[in-house]
Amino acid sequence: MRIRPFEYLAPESLEEALTELRNFGSDTVLLAGGTDLILAMKHKSVLPTRVMGLQKVRELNFIRQKNSTVHIGALATHSWLCAHDVILKKLPMLGEAVSMIGSWQIRNIATLGGNLCNASPAADSAPPLLALDSRVVLADSDGEQEAPLSSFFLGPGQTALTPSQILKEVIIEIPSNPYSGCYLKMTRKRGIDLAVVGVAFHAEIDPSTQTLAKVAIALGGVAPTPMRATEAEKILAGLSSEEALRALADAAQAAVAATTPIDDIRATAEYRKAIVEVYVRQAGAKVINSLVKAGGNRN
Amino acid sequence: MKTVITITVNGERHSLEVKPNSTLVDVLRDQLGLRGTKKGCGEGKCGSCTVLLDGLSVSSCILLAVQADGREVVTIEGFGECGRPHPLQKAFVERGAVQCGYCTPGMIVTAKALLENNPSPDEKVVRKAIAGNLCRCTGYTKIVDAILSLADRGSELVKGEKEDGS
Repeated sequence: MRIRPFEYLAPESLEEALTELRNFGSDTVLLAGGTDLILAMKHKSVLPTRVMGLQKVRELNFIRQKNSTVHIGALATHSWLCAHDVILKKLPMLGEAVSMIGSWQIRNIATLGGNLCNASPAADSAPPLLALDSRVVLADSDGEQEAPLSSFFLGPGQTALTPSQILKEVIIEIPSNPYSGCYLKMTRKRGIDLAVVGVAFHAEIDPSTQTLAKVAIALGGVAPTPMRATEAEKILAGLSSEEALRALADAAQAAVAATTPIDDIRATAEYRKAIVEVYVRQAGAKVINSLVKAGGNRN
Repeated sequence: MKTVITITVNGERHSLEVKPNSTLVDVLRDQLGLRGTKKGCGEGKCGSCTVLLDGLSVSSCILLAVQADGREVVTIEGFGECGRPHPLQKAFVERGAVQCGYCTPGMIVTAKALLENNPSPDEKVVRKAIAGNLCRCTGYTKIVDAILSLADRGSELVKGEKEDGS
């Protein structure tokens, strides 16, 4: 599988990278880890004439917590994320999801930014980040824009990035209420596989009223982009944990109704809907029970 | 249009002229003659091309050589030497974990990365770690046994030092 020749550049700072993109952005493809891009180039589905490797732009490689916000640089690898203290303690649902991406070899190179910018409808990092109402920072040589992740995905493989922009970082607010979340991924086999369906279920409990202050259900692999099942969330929000457990079946149905899956080489639309229904119930039960028993994560 | 990269391979520093469209596995095999690292699927899914990049196990067939510029690579040739096999190599041979041998270099490299990260893994952790290394011959059982046999013996052995007490 030969890769066609291309012009290669490796800027050593974000500023240098953005200057290049300002001038030549529409001819330039960005290379982060490369686990998606290099594969596409080998399969000739992408034929860039110019590739900008970002591996020397160290400013994009960070994971930090500032008060109640977690900031993740676009070049943070999945293996770093799933071993990082801040992610393990504060955003375990995200760590759980990225630990399921590919194989260890892939997770050691593949980046969070790359996963989002590749914009597969089944990207594993997307449902947890959507459920947490994450924001993205898009940078070009004129400055930075912050936007909700929900506005970033425009279609399969399409994002809101302009040719002169780079995804710089992802910002996640740590909830102030006790919270719990989980990510379930349906694959055809163990080992390396894309998600046929991914379900992220995140809930927060209001300690004074003991009701669910927030419920977020995000789905991957069942629509042109990763999505939130807002009607399903409304069924559960504000309920006590017992009421919510009883209402899970209805919420699961509502989640299924919101999906628009397709038949593809991995699964049929019918199968995907069936899995969404099961996973929303399973993930919901796991999360609600963990909020009741252990009191969930605390800020 | 070639570009020059500096890359340390098995402890030796090289300055190499590479084409940007060449993969790390091709540079290791064809420019450096290190044919221990194998090419299987070419898609980063079978793990036969696994090498260590700054200590991390990676699939070298989906890395461009230029991505390894300024970094350290360890291939299977960096393990043990003729007549003095690395403890992992010895364990694989003794436990019957090698049949055709094609997956073996990648398996051993991944195993080393695992044991350096986690000197006492259990079977579940071992299987998850080698999930990116496919074997069509052995059914994995003896590979897992070989790796677990070193988990009991402490992390010094993984570094290949002082096995005979010297």
